[in-house]
Amino acid sequence: MTAAPRVRADRQAEAVVKAARAPLAARALDGLAHGVFVFDDKLRVQLISRPMLGLLGFTREAVPVGHALAAILERSTGFSAAAAVLQLCAQSVGGDGPTQTHRLDLAGGAAVAMRVCRIAPRRWLAEFEPLAAMPPAEAPAAALSGSDPLTGLADRQAVRERLEAALARRPVLGRPQVVSFRLDLDGFKAIGDSLGEPVADALLRAVADRLRSALRFEDIVARVGRDEFLILQESPEHVTPEAIAARLLDLLGRPYILHGNLLNVGANIGHASAPADCSNAEDLLRCADLALRQAKASGRGKSLAFEPAMQARAQARLALEQDLRKALALAQFELHYQPQVSLHTGRLAGFEALLRWRTPDRGLVSPLEFVPICEELGLIKPIGEWVLRAACQEAARWPDGIRVAVNVSAPQFEAPSRLVAAVRTALARSGLPGGRLELEITESVLLQPGLATLEALHAIRDMGVRISMDDFGTGYSSLTQLQSFPFDKIKIDRSFVSGAAGPEGAAIVRAVAALGASLGMAITAEGVETGEQLDRIRADGCTEVQGYFFGRPVPSHDIDGLIAALALRREPAEA
Amino acid sequence: MAGGTHARTHRIVYCSRNALRGSHDAIEAEIRQILEKSRANNHRDGITGALLFSSGSFVQVLEGPIAALERTFETIQRDPRHRDVTVLQIAESNRGFPAWSMAFAGNTAGGSCPAAEAAMSAALADPSAASGEQLLSVLRTLVVREDDWALAS
Ligand SMILES: Cc1cc2nc3c(=O)[nH]c(=O)nc-3n(C[C@H](O)[C@H](O)[C@H](O)COP(=O)(O)O)c2cc1C
Repeated sequence: MTAAPRVRADRQAEAVVKAARAPLAARALDGLAHGVFVFDDKLRVQLISRPMLGLLGFTREAVPVGHALAAILERSTGFSAAAAVLQLCAQSVGGDGPTQTHRLDLAGGAAVAMRVCRIAPRRWLAEFEPLAAMPPAEAPAAALSGSDPLTGLADRQAVRERLEAALARRPVLGRPQVVSFRLDLDGFKAIGDSLGEPVADALLRAVADRLRSALRFEDIVARVGRDEFLILQESPEHVTPEAIAARLLDLLGRPYILHGNLLNVGANIGHASAPADCSNAEDLLRCADLALRQAKASGRGKSLAFEPAMQARAQARLALEQDLRKALALAQFELHYQPQVSLHTGRLAGFEALLRWRTPDRGLVSPLEFVPICEELGLIKPIGEWVLRAACQEAARWPDGIRVAVNVSAPQFEAPSRLVAAVRTALARSGLPGGRLELEITESVLLQPGLATLEALHAIRDMGVRISMDDFGTGYSSLTQLQSFPFDKIKIDRSFVSGAAGPEGAAIVRAVAALGASLGMAITAEGVETGEQLDRIRADGCTEVQGYFFGRPVPSHDIDGLIAALALRREPAEA
Repeated sequence: MAGGTHARTHRIVYCSRNALRGSHDAIEAEIRQILEKSRANNHRDGITGALLFSSGSFVQVLEGPIAALERTFETIQRDPRHRDVTVLQIAESNRGFPAWSMAFAGNTAGGSCPAAEAAMSAALADPSAASGEQLLSVLRTLVVREDDWALAS
């Protein structure tokens, strides 16, 4: 801060003084090009002009009248001369000396001339005149750091700084709390995709304004991702964080009309408090984040407070991920085989290879628990290739005519040529004829089949390998999907067999079986557990069955016994 | 100014549930305050329309230039005095209430308008532009002149 060349007390300054005294002073001030504010002898801001708000990095919404100047300056984002301003104002109140002009250097090379003059017995006016290279008046906040150009909210950096300062201050003030709320919108992406980015941007601004309107001036509201927000409350409100979260969820969940479109979005909130949950800035943000993830998992429009158990769950998940990354190298995967029986001949038609994971501390882990995580971690491709090799190797030693079915998941089709190569290698190494291998793919693979996916399927089929559609009826199944590729087989999901799908389920089984017959596809019913189910399935026209009625999945060393037992059994076709 | 015959106008029709608690008198006072504020603001912003209060529900028609409508709608959304807002219609349209900066239908805070209620429950069962239209025509028949609206029974 250095003394600047004196700024003349021109007409503008006179107008300022008049405006500040006038009844509609606030509006009049807005007409002035320079940033001005009026403060009292307690250093409380009584009036503030819009250009001044812009200079301090505030949004249109937040007009901080009646607040302590110190608090306002601290809340400002990207205004780098806060300390000097506060000092000059304090000096004016104390000294009552003649009007002085000071040069303040701001971040980014800009500078302002600040003048303070007394305009009434206990009122002073501070005026800021741009001196050099000021950012354009329309978007002052955007040009400065610490604030999000789209919404005018604080950004991640500003949050971190404020949070660290708040937590450092804590011991002096006794035991106040800092509460952090982490908020994500729900359904936001769909809005951008369908209505375009300008509408999505307008929505983010509206959300930002709603958040600001529902919170106190001293609370920090930041945007920390495309549709992710963070709120910090240093001195908590008199209501619980739960009640605040509920208020925010209610408010954000109300309809929006933007650019002529009616929009609805939801949100989820996770919140955590210091010092109750954690003591440093890093942890507080992480705890709120964990709580948010749990809130999202528990459904739309939910909010959750952080609990230590969440930490434990997140750690358990991390440990699981780490173990999974090592599982292939440690040879912890194994295949179990479940028989598939032909209803025409009553004979064993083949086995489905099912992936299992066995570790010394976890025992045998269900694929439901680990396969989705493998897909998320991108581990499913190498694991899928191992399954192909191991299953072909195993099947090659079975009696002729018994097939092996291997599941191929959607991520494996992201690299179609790699999949084709993996199938070719597995067959070549094991010597298994292509006709004894069957790939089971789920409907999701064909949801939006690319040309490459279909080409890969045809290339695999050209090796003699059969392709079947797995879990038919569970996902986005439609009969038209069956036309996108000439499947050899359809596997009807167990829910239709168990009766869980009700009478309509039975009707679907009959329809699919009839369709399969006319298209020359085999129809396998999964999950057959009882004799009655078997009779019904047979009557409905299915051609193959799989389920506990014929045998549970067994490890490879039990296969020979199972093959012998099934050969001895009274043939179901004659039952 | 409210006529606005040349400029393009839009219309928003929504209904919501009253979130006000308290005596009849208190609720009446609040609604009176909402109306006074609405009339002043809407007159300033070139917005016209009608508000119905019946058996704890609001129905409101807002008409005017889309930008002003969107701003006012956003302000109303944030108002904690009502909740469960269902938008029935948002479309380009001529003004149906050109003479009222906010006409009012509904005689007392606790009273009810059977015709409006029937249209309202139909609209809520099937929130569509058609049911919005229906409500609108009921509102037109109910609306009293801005000067002689009376909240007191
Ligand atoms: C059901 C309902 C309808 C309202 N309608 C209007 C309206 O048409 N125009 C309006 O300006 N405010 C309306 N308000 C009030 C606004 O929510 C808000 O309180 C008001 O616009 C604030 O005005 P001010 O910023 O001038 O104080 C309505 C409120 C409710 C609960």
